[in-house]
Amino acid sequence: MAFGSGVIRGMGITFRHLVESYVIGFKEQPAAAGDLVAPTAVRAGMPVRTGGMQTVQYPDEKLPIPERFRYLPFLLYEDDADNDREAFDGIRCTACGICAKVCPPQCIWIVQGKGDDGKPRPVATEFYIDASICMSCGFCAEYCPFDAIKMDHDYELSSYERHESWVYDLQELLHPVAYHAAIHPTDWQRELEEQRAKDEAKRRKAEAKAAKAAAAGADGDAEDPEAAKQRKLEARQKMLDARKAREAAKAAEQGDAPDEA
Amino acid sequence: MKPLDLMQPPPPPSRRREAPAPQPVADGPMVLNIGPHHPSTHGVLRVVVELDGERVLSATPDIGYLHTGIEKTFEAKSYVKGTTLAPRMSYLSPINNNLSYVLSVEHLLQVEVPERATVTRVLLAELDRLASHLVFIGIHALDLGASSVMLYTFREREQILDLMEMVGGARMFPSYIRPGGLAFDLPPGFEEAVATLLDKMPAAIDQYERLLTKNPMWKRRTIGVAVLGAEDAIRFGVTGTAMRAAGIGYDLRRALPYCGYEHYDFDVPMHTDGDAYARYLLRIAEMRESVKIAAQALARLPDGPYATADRKVAPPPKHELATSMEAVIHHFKLWTEGIKPPPGEAYVAVEAPRGEMGFYIVSDGSGRPYRVHMRSPSFVNLQALETMVKGSLVADLVTAVASLDPVLGEVDR
Ligand code: SF4
Ligand code: SF4
Repeated sequence: MAFGSGVIRGMGITFRHLVESYVIGFKEQPAAAGDLVAPTAVRAGMPVRTGGMQTVQYPDEKLPIPERFRYLPFLLYEDDADNDREAFDGIRCTACGICAKVCPPQCIWIVQGKGDDGKPRPVATEFYIDASICMSCGFCAEYCPFDAIKMDHDYELSSYERHESWVYDLQELLHPVAYHAAIHPTDWQRELEEQRAKDEAKRRKAEAKAAKAAAAGADGDAEDPEAAKQRKLEARQKMLDARKAREAAKAAEQGDAPDEA
Repeated sequence: MKPLDLMQPPPPPSRRREAPAPQPVADGPMVLNIGPHHPSTHGVLRVVVELDGERVLSATPDIGYLHTGIEKTFEAKSYVKGTTLAPRMSYLSPINNNLSYVLSVEHLLQVEVPERATVTRVLLAELDRLASHLVFIGIHALDLGASSVMLYTFREREQILDLMEMVGGARMFPSYIRPGGLAFDLPPGFEEAVATLLDKMPAAIDQYERLLTKNPMWKRRTIGVAVLGAEDAIRFGVTGTAMRAAGIGYDLRRALPYCGYEHYDFDVPMHTDGDAYARYLLRIAEMRESVKIAAQALARLPDGPYATADRKVAPPPKHELATSMEAVIHHFKLWTEGIKPPPGEAYVAVEAPRGEMGFYIVSDGSGRPYRVHMRSPSFVNLQALETMVKGSLVADLVTAVASLDPVLGEVDR
């Protein structure tokens, strides 16, 4: 009989739980029909309550996701009408490569764009992330200095094959900034403030410059910009000439030092 | 009798053959593999047991099925990337592993950590201990056939994981603790959420106790089972609850305090029986202590910076990047070259839910560790398995493994 007492006690707890779930369900029934039965605390990112049982009818209902949740990274582009995404317009990424460097499993591959003159341009023409390798650590988003890459909240990524569709290319990774603003409100707020601070700093700098120019103008001999440019060019030429002369003197000093040395 | 028809082939011989005389079962012991795919081995642990009937003559854990080469991987990653690896070793106590790794790196760097970060670390480490012990209780009961306990313990564990997700973005591996402090500040609403959870915790623990502590079946399966005495515990270097259950009050939070544990008011629960039941009782008591410590940490959580201002260790906060060129340079330098501790070695251990968890790191002055080695409690504790089960029944082997609560990721590395 002793063993039975354990069973009865356990069943008692289970039964109380069962009753509780109905009672709590009645008490906390949300106002709007078809709304999530989970308490509002959950939606605010707070833990679920202890009493009763509850089932979230996934996929019809989904638990809310905290802002910092991270799954796969995505790239941001400014969603202006005149931006052509195919021409890499408005994409924030500058191909600086920091994200690829900090990525622990090394699953980011970036190709930096080149201009017509063959010089590198600050755009990524190709950007791949291998989702099957990504460990969802969020380092790329954390350390990107340009706020160009963020962590997505989308966790429903099943696919019919597991090779090509798991390597995300640039166009698949791109999401509009508005999407980022919607899923990361706090982060977005910080970004806006930064932008404001930056603009403020710029404005102040410009003002200071203007004030200086005005002060210089007050001195009487305000230079016209064309002349100033000319003067600068001349100064530069002078400097280059001087350097050439110095080098020539050095070469002469070393006597018959070979040219290519 | 029918004459034999010579034109016909002879009939097949009768299938019935003389049964061999019954042989006595071999006198020698039977060797049986338990695992590597067995639900009660908590992962891919293989135990080679020699049996005489139901009696265990010897039990040898055969490890290595989850070998990941993680120690070697550390050598190829910068110190900050290491914070993503350290928790992945032990998926049940990721925060404590993360903490141990970071404390070792910080010891190499000799960097000061702000108070807010330290207190947050304590708070998270205790929540982590709670989450880990909840798994222990649920799975231990499940292994012994009490399947409903797990449903209750995972209910609370889920909420702790939600908290982890809230602070660090991931339930299991937030990698939130970084050299020099934390990755980000605590999110708004976190303190209230923790307070709500801590309020509910004691009642929840009472509920688990109602299910198990006085349950006659539970007692029959755990009292006097898998006994590990004090002498053996010391001999094997066993730490954690298994050691405290044997009557040795060794807890690193007391013995070698880190993160300011000496300023918290808590008890180190002890027992002298050394059996599975004692270990269960200790874990329950430790959970209550953890709730106490976490509440104290929450109460004293100060304002202030969450990471050190040393730009060679922690990156500048993001908002500085927009306005300060210096910050951008620090940022780039930190991520291209990484943290560079001076040459030397460090070993800092923490009291993880399973015992002493320590990271031994050798630095050669470069941006990557020269060598990283872990002293993981699961690995050391598992050695005592044979001593615990010798001479007992096979069913008690399950109790022994469950009450040691090994994490195979930590055992094999
Ligand atoms: S760190 Fe940011 S800007 Fe640099 S390559 Fe990566 S996504 Fe682009
Ligand atoms: S989340 Fe981590 S693993 Fe994934 S791409 Fe970013 S840095 Fe790499």
